[in-house]
Amino acid sequence: MNKELKINTISISLSLIITLVIITLFLFTLSKNPFEIYSVMLGEVFGSFYGFGQMLFKATPLIIIGCGLAICFHASLFNIGAEGQLNAGSFVTAIVLVALSDLPFILAFIISVACGFLVSGLFGLIPAIIKIKKGVNEVITTIMMNFIILYLVNYFLMNFFTVPATQRTIKIPESFMLPQASDLISAFQGSALNITFIFAILLALIIYFIIYKTRFGYNIRAVGFNEIASAYIGLKPARITLLSFFIGAGVISLAGINFVMGYKGYYEFGYTNNIGFTAIAVALLARNHPIGIIFSALLFAFLDFGGLAVNQIIPKEVILVIEALVILSIISVNKLTENYFNKT
Amino acid sequence: MEILSTIFSVAFLAQVIRLMTPYYLGASGANFSERGGVINIAIEGFMISGAFCFALFSITFGNSMLALFLTLLINLLLAGFYSLFALKLKLNQILIGVGFNMLITGLAKFFMMLIFQSSSNTSRFDELPRLEFLRIIPFVGDVLSDFIILFAIALIFISNFLLYKTKFGLRLRACGENPEAAESSGVNVHLYKLYGILLSGFLSGLGGIWLASVQNSYSDGMIAGRGYIAIAAMIIGKWKPVNIFFACLLFAFFEALEISLQIVETGFPTQFIQMLPYLITILVLIGFIGKTKPPAADGVPY
Repeated sequence: MNKELKINTISISLSLIITLVIITLFLFTLSKNPFEIYSVMLGEVFGSFYGFGQMLFKATPLIIIGCGLAICFHASLFNIGAEGQLNAGSFVTAIVLVALSDLPFILAFIISVACGFLVSGLFGLIPAIIKIKKGVNEVITTIMMNFIILYLVNYFLMNFFTVPATQRTIKIPESFMLPQASDLISAFQGSALNITFIFAILLALIIYFIIYKTRFGYNIRAVGFNEIASAYIGLKPARITLLSFFIGAGVISLAGINFVMGYKGYYEFGYTNNIGFTAIAVALLARNHPIGIIFSALLFAFLDFGGLAVNQIIPKEVILVIEALVILSIISVNKLTENYFNKT
Repeated sequence: MEILSTIFSVAFLAQVIRLMTPYYLGASGANFSERGGVINIAIEGFMISGAFCFALFSITFGNSMLALFLTLLINLLLAGFYSLFALKLKLNQILIGVGFNMLITGLAKFFMMLIFQSSSNTSRFDELPRLEFLRIIPFVGDVLSDFIILFAIALIFISNFLLYKTKFGLRLRACGENPEAAESSGVNVHLYKLYGILLSGFLSGLGGIWLASVQNSYSDGMIAGRGYIAIAAMIIGKWKPVNIFFACLLFAFFEALEISLQIVETGFPTQFIQMLPYLITILVLIGFIGKTKPPAADGVPY
C-alpha cells in the first residue's frame, strides 16, 4: 500500500469512527436510544425501493457538486461558492429550456445545460480573476459571491420569470422531463430518483480520469501541491487556476439537472437548501477523490433521508450537526495522521 | 420625495444606529481575531449561538441579566473550542469557520425543535432592562437607553484604545503581523491569539443577544447573514475600528432604507440594496475603493 493511500484510508475511517462515537454519546446524553435510531434509519432506507431510491436521488447532486469542488480543491482553491454557482446554473438551465420549448429535446437539452454551465463557470471565474490579479483569497470572494448571485437570481426571477404568487419559473414541457426510475421498476413509485443518478456516476468516473490520468489533471494537482514549484517546471499556475475554477463551477451547475429536469420541471428559489455547503463535507470526506465522493455522497444522502425517517424520535436538524462534526473531525484527523506519518 | 423625508427623519437615523449595533459588535469581534492573525468566518455562528442561548436562558430562568451572563459564558466556551482547532491543531481557519457555522446553525435548529417543538419561533420573553435615566435626552434618548447600543458606540473608543494604546494591543497586532518576531521578543503568541478569538466570540455573541432581545424571541434564520456582513464591514473598514464603524453605519443605512422602501413602494429593486454590502466588499478587496492591507500573517496557522 502506498503512503498516500494509507493516510487516506486511516484518516477517513478514523474520522468516521470519531463522528459516530460523538453522535452516539450525544444521543445518549439526550436520553435517546441511538441504536434504535440507527436501526430505524437503516430499515427505512434499505427496507424499500422507495427509501433506497430517495437516498440515491439525494446523493445525485452531492456527487456532481462534490466532483466540481474536487477539481477546485485539487488545485488548492477553496471554492465556498457552490451554493451560488448551483443556483445561477440551474436557474439559467430552467429558463433556457422554457425558451427553447419548440426545439427537439436533445438540442434543447444540450443548449440549456451548456448555458447553465457557462453562466455558472463565468461566476466561478470572478473569484479566480480577483485572486490572480489582486491576490485576494478566493474564500472571502466566493462567500460574498454566494450572496450576490442569490440576490441577482432572485431579482431576475421575481421580476421577469416567475409564475405569479410563487417563487418558481414556468414549468418546462413534459417531453423535456428525464426518464424516472419508477418507469423502469414500479417499486420506485413515489421516489424522485431519475436517470441523472447514472449521469452523476459517469461524471465522477470522467472527473476521476481527468484528475488522475491526464496531463491537465496532473497540472492541477501540481499547482495545488506547490504553486511556486509548479511554475518552475513550466506550468502556468494562473491559467490552471482560471481553468479549474471555470470547469469546477460549471460542473457544479450540472447538479441542477436533477431537480429541474429530473424532478420538479422548474427552478424554485431556495431549492438548493445549503446543498452547496453539504457538498464541501462530501468532498472533504472523500479527500477529493471522485470515486470516494460517490460513497461519501451516499453516506450523507443516507443521513439526510434516514434523518427524515426518524424525525418522530429525533429532530431531523441533527443532520446538519452531523455534517459539521464530519467536517471538523475529518480536517482534524487528516492533520493528525499526516503529522504522525511525516514524523515516522 | 416621500422617501427623502423618510431618510431625513429622526426616527430613521435612530433606526440606522440601532441596526448598526449587531454589525459593529460582530465586526469588532472579527477584527480582534484577525488582528491576532486568525481569520474567523464563524462570526455568523457565534451570533446565532448568542441569540439562541439568550432566548433559551431568558425563557428558562425568566431573568434577562442572568441569561445575558450565561450566554456570554457559552460563547466564550465556543470560542475556546474554536481556538483548539485553530491554534492547537493549526487547521485551515476557513474550513474550521465553515464547520463551526454549520455546527452552531445545526445545534440551534436542533435544540429549537427539541425544546420548543417549533422549527421557526421560540415563545416571547422580556427585553433587556433599559437605562431609564438616559431616556430624557431628546431625540436619541430611546436609542441610548439600550446599554448594548451604548456599549457598541463606546466600543469604537475602547477598541481603538485597546489596539493602539495598550501593551495588549501592540502584542496582539504583533502576533497578526509577524508571529515569529513576536515570539522571539518573548510574547506568548498562542495566548494572544486566544485572546483575540475569545473577544470575537464574546462581542459577536453580544450582537446576537441584542438581536434576540429587541425582537423578544429567537426565530430560525434571524441572523440572516449578518455575521458575513460584519466580516464584510471589517474588510471595508480596513481592519481599523473607526473605519469599520463607518462601514457598519453604511450597511445599517442601506438596511434601514430597504425597510422603508418596502413600505413606500418606489419600485426600486430591494435585491440590489441587499446585495450592496457583499458587492462593496469585493470592490474594496480588489482595490477599487482604496488599498486594503490585512494583517500580514492573517490566516496563517502558527
